[in-house]
Amino acid sequence: MALANGAILTGLGVGLNAVRAEVFRVKPQAALPGPAKHLGDAVGEKETLKGAIHHVASYLDELSIKAGETSAEIFEALKMLLEDEDLFETAVAEIESGWNAATAFIVAVDSLDEIFAGDAAFEERLVDLKDLAKRVAAHIAGVHMGLDLPTSGAFVIVGDDFSPADTAQFTDAVVGVVTIKGGPTSHTAIICRSKSIPAVVSCTQAVDLVDGMSVLVDPVGDRVVVGGDDSMATKAISFVAKSFEPIVPVRANIGSLEDSVQAAATAANGVGLFRTELLYLSEKTMPSAEKQARSYAEILKAAPEGPIVVRTIDAGSDKPVPFLDMPHEENPALGIRGFRLIQDHRQFLIDQLTSLEVARKETGREVWVMAPMIATASEAIEFAEMARSCGEYKVGIMVETPAIAMALQDLAGKLDFISVGTNDLSQYLFAADRMNAGLGALLNPWQPALVRMLQVIASESEKAGISSGVCGESASDPAFAVVLAGLGFKSVSASRSQVGAVRSALSAVTLEQAQQVAKVALSATTADQCKAAVLDALAAIA
Amino acid sequence: MSTITKHVTIEDPIGLHARPAGQIVKLVKESGLTVRMGKAGEELVLANSPLRMMALKAKTGEQLVVEVDTDDQGVADALFAQIQEFLKG
Repeated sequence: MALANGAILTGLGVGLNAVRAEVFRVKPQAALPGPAKHLGDAVGEKETLKGAIHHVASYLDELSIKAGETSAEIFEALKMLLEDEDLFETAVAEIESGWNAATAFIVAVDSLDEIFAGDAAFEERLVDLKDLAKRVAAHIAGVHMGLDLPTSGAFVIVGDDFSPADTAQFTDAVVGVVTIKGGPTSHTAIICRSKSIPAVVSCTQAVDLVDGMSVLVDPVGDRVVVGGDDSMATKAISFVAKSFEPIVPVRANIGSLEDSVQAAATAANGVGLFRTELLYLSEKTMPSAEKQARSYAEILKAAPEGPIVVRTIDAGSDKPVPFLDMPHEENPALGIRGFRLIQDHRQFLIDQLTSLEVARKETGREVWVMAPMIATASEAIEFAEMARSCGEYKVGIMVETPAIAMALQDLAGKLDFISVGTNDLSQYLFAADRMNAGLGALLNPWQPALVRMLQVIASESEKAGISSGVCGESASDPAFAVVLAGLGFKSVSASRSQVGAVRSALSAVTLEQAQQVAKVALSATTADQCKAAVLDALAAIA
Repeated sequence: MSTITKHVTIEDPIGLHARPAGQIVKLVKESGLTVRMGKAGEELVLANSPLRMMALKAKTGEQLVVEVDTDDQGVADALFAQIQEFLKG
């Protein structure tokens, strides 16, 4: 169906600024030629195959560098399989029996199915290897498999959803992004938010956008307007600060020294989420206590003034720490991750907390620690005791599971604070996989059930005398942050780039007004209605 | 040249999978030595292809025979120790 000028495509917006540019449609994969025989030059075919394998191997090297050290080992292992001598010999035998280089290599890789049938550990690799075999065949056929993004000009790129391998290829010419699938916590959304690229995700009608159309990406309006111009952009509510200090402190989320330095340049009041796993994911062996303490001290020293909330390692079999044994799991999001690692890696957690204590003493900073993926009050208490025996911390937990949200009353006097991770809370509350691009609408933070769950968490914490905060992606949305303060949360923590906007919003309303807005949110029955009603209420105030 | 033999045990919980197989092959290639591996009583294979190594389908707890063609016991011991390390997972 052709889209007329003025057509409005709805989705979920990411970011506060609109952008108008030409559509660049990421091409659907060109078809590969089918199996075919060669013309009798077996020697030439072998050379062709060798060259193509070499080409794909260097592509793996590139990916490995772009993806960072975390995935380097995977790419290294894949490269060795791709360049395996036995595999090459099998392909050569096929070439000698008449098949051309591309067909022969695909046949050789397919023959592994039989050898490794039933070997669960190898099946995943085999999927990757088959993908590589296609790349080898594509190279031989001269079919391009990358995203092939323009490097100059300004474009809105449109595609199904973008994987980490895809977003790593985003060039400066990418000024806007529209995805047909994917949700507000998809990889695409997180990258666009952190790079301040306006995006609309989960936009099903974008399927009809074609190259050369001019579109307005209007994230605040949750829409894409075909042929739209800047004057049609939905204005973010311009919050006029009425007080100097926001009604609740706005902290920043960080994961590295670089983040910490940049967060200090914002008006953030301390750090509400310091993700520590990044310090470990790139290490092949366990870093020594001294090295850990040194890294922590650097980051604490650089952090914005105020308390620093440190989350102990949040890793699982989908995000494995190379030096900890984390066997493959069918459902990593529901598996042994976060605090559950204590089953096999208690000493690792203790080392993390003691190294952090060394850094705390050295820098004199106020450090709060919390554990992720807590499901029961006894786990929370076990963590609190462990953390207090390791250092002088304020101690808390992440609230991500519906189970712990229902057990907060049992934690009175045991914890100093809790922090809600809304992304995971949505995933577990709605039984909707964050990685599944088709479930974006369920992961929308404006879903009434999530808002009501947040109310329960804020009021139960209050009753138990525990300070509550929110550090999920939702706290980076200024309007949603007002709802959170109105529900009774005592602090919010936002992406670095959003700290200013969230702070302005929370300085433009009084606590009573925020509570009124929260009431409006609580009475909504759909996500769209919830957001619209809150924006209306805010527009009337600000 | 003589052949030095040793048994190693697979401790990796997923068995002899892609990563250790790749690490062993890389080590063998860098050493320039001829190394054969396999299950006791079965035919040994040259340890220069990760796929061939994985096709041994060696499971956790199983022992593998490693043979290296060298006269230098020290070189062989270092190689065995490295291979055993890779099989720890």
